[in-house]
Amino acid sequence: MNLLRRARKNKQLVSGSILATVIVLLGVVGPWLLGDYTDQDLLLGHLPPMTSGYLLGSDALGRDIAARVVVGIRISLIVAISVTVIAVVVGTAIGLVAGYIKGAVDSMISLVVDFIWGFPLILVAVLAAASIGSGLLPVILAVGLVNTVAIARVVRGEVLGLSEKEFVVAARAGGYSTMRILTRHLLPNIMPVVLVLSSYYVAVGIIAEASLSFVGLGAQPPLPSLGQMVSEGRNYMRLNHWESTVPGIVIFVMVLSVSLIGDGLRDLLDPRLRTAVERASSK
Amino acid sequence: MKIIFSRIVSTLLLLLASSLAVFAAIRFSGGDVTAARMPASASAADRELFRKQIGLDQPILKQYITYMGNFVTGDLGNSLTSNARISSLAVEKIRNSLILGGSSLLIVFLVGVPLGMIAALRRNTWVDTGITSFSVAGMAVPNFWLALIAIHLFASTLHWLPSGGQGGFKSVILPALVLSAEGIALTVRITRSAMLENIGQDFVRTLRASGFSERRIYFKHVLRSSLLPIISLAGLRVGQVVGYALVVETIFGWPGVGQILVNAVLRRDYPVIQFFSLLLVVVVTLGNLLASIGYTLANPRLRK
Repeated sequence: MNLLRRARKNKQLVSGSILATVIVLLGVVGPWLLGDYTDQDLLLGHLPPMTSGYLLGSDALGRDIAARVVVGIRISLIVAISVTVIAVVVGTAIGLVAGYIKGAVDSMISLVVDFIWGFPLILVAVLAAASIGSGLLPVILAVGLVNTVAIARVVRGEVLGLSEKEFVVAARAGGYSTMRILTRHLLPNIMPVVLVLSSYYVAVGIIAEASLSFVGLGAQPPLPSLGQMVSEGRNYMRLNHWESTVPGIVIFVMVLSVSLIGDGLRDLLDPRLRTAVERASSK
Repeated sequence: MKIIFSRIVSTLLLLLASSLAVFAAIRFSGGDVTAARMPASASAADRELFRKQIGLDQPILKQYITYMGNFVTGDLGNSLTSNARISSLAVEKIRNSLILGGSSLLIVFLVGVPLGMIAALRRNTWVDTGITSFSVAGMAVPNFWLALIAIHLFASTLHWLPSGGQGGFKSVILPALVLSAEGIALTVRITRSAMLENIGQDFVRTLRASGFSERRIYFKHVLRSSLLPIISLAGLRVGQVVGYALVVETIFGWPGVGQILVNAVLRRDYPVIQFFSLLLVVVVTLGNLLASIGYTLANPRLRK
């Protein structure tokens, strides 16, 4: 209960959670309330917000920006969250095994991990798009792969440090199985790091999806990804800049909310994590 | 020194593996190589002939060895779309990207480190709150969007700076600043927390007790011990800068490696994709290597 009370006092965590709740609600309920995002009306293009029944204005084809933004939020959330969940589960498992079992297993895993670590995320996505064609799939594969590796690296480092601690040595001397030591003794101790990291990787996922869709390698029309909306609006900046600014602000708020949650969680769970997390989140 | 040597050897092996991976990823891709070069009306026989001409009928491993052989002798092949020699394209694109990436790294550290120090020295005042909030916002803002706003504001509306292309010093300012935004934010955070961590250490208390001035303690001793995380960040930043340079170069029409790579992927120009993505991997891997060497040199405990 003490933790809950401290959580309520943590300004970053509270404000981040409120923002995130609003965003998730918009992404879940919004598309359902705001009608068809593909409805076109060329006579009603480039409208600024709050005109002719368009809450956030309309784009070049006269489509409702608000209706498109909420679908964009949904796509962004689905990509970022699902990828992060997979990356966290797989990355943690790999890191636990490598860090605890050590030896040849660790060397093999570390070799592969270091290898993938040499590729910047955006480049992996570009290569994936080059080999399987543009779309959301290469984005998902790239973000998933790179984030899994990033999490595995951090978890392995943490486990290496923990595995010589008394409580692990005692558990081993007590004859507990490796599986039990990994899941009951080591896993709870690395959960804070993993939890904090995963919020940063949701942010990475959102930004990567938006950036790749912006350059045309991610979500393809007519799917309204936020990055792609910014890109479509860029040609009309002088006419009606809202076509780009609205989705841009939405991306900003989404990333801001998860970063705030991450910072809040970090301070709440373990302030010592500061430098370790910042170094890891710099990918 | 032994650690450094083994790092260098393993880096070379990693690079060799990366070259094979990039090569395989592109060869196994489903796309049609001939589409970049030939009109839609070209016959199947002509397409086959073209594949044979560029050696695609050979086994993959043999193609790889031929490619690496040519690579070592400086023959990088030709672009499928423009037929330009990749080696001559490379010189120009690399130079442009180095100008952009270099100025961005410079801005990041010249702005980020001092701001982080100020925030740490004035901790829990409005100065600290201001700098910290600014850095939280800086990390959340998508850089392609920042680029559009910057172009709209400084180029289209105020006419202070060119919106892109390559017209000397002025045209590098906007792309470099946009590319630096996130890095500055991150550097501020790292510097601030590293400084704060060190200010509480015993050696600071001892220095104070020995009568050293606060300024000397902060600028000489605390800063030096805070450099470790900043240095290792610098190397890791290379990967990030390289990645986001792809996006920023595309927006500003900066004729660098990122722009040519994105265009090559969109046009399925495989030899170009292959060379330039490999180049980026080399740069990032070397960045990681330099970071780890710098870390070893700056940390007396690892120096042996």
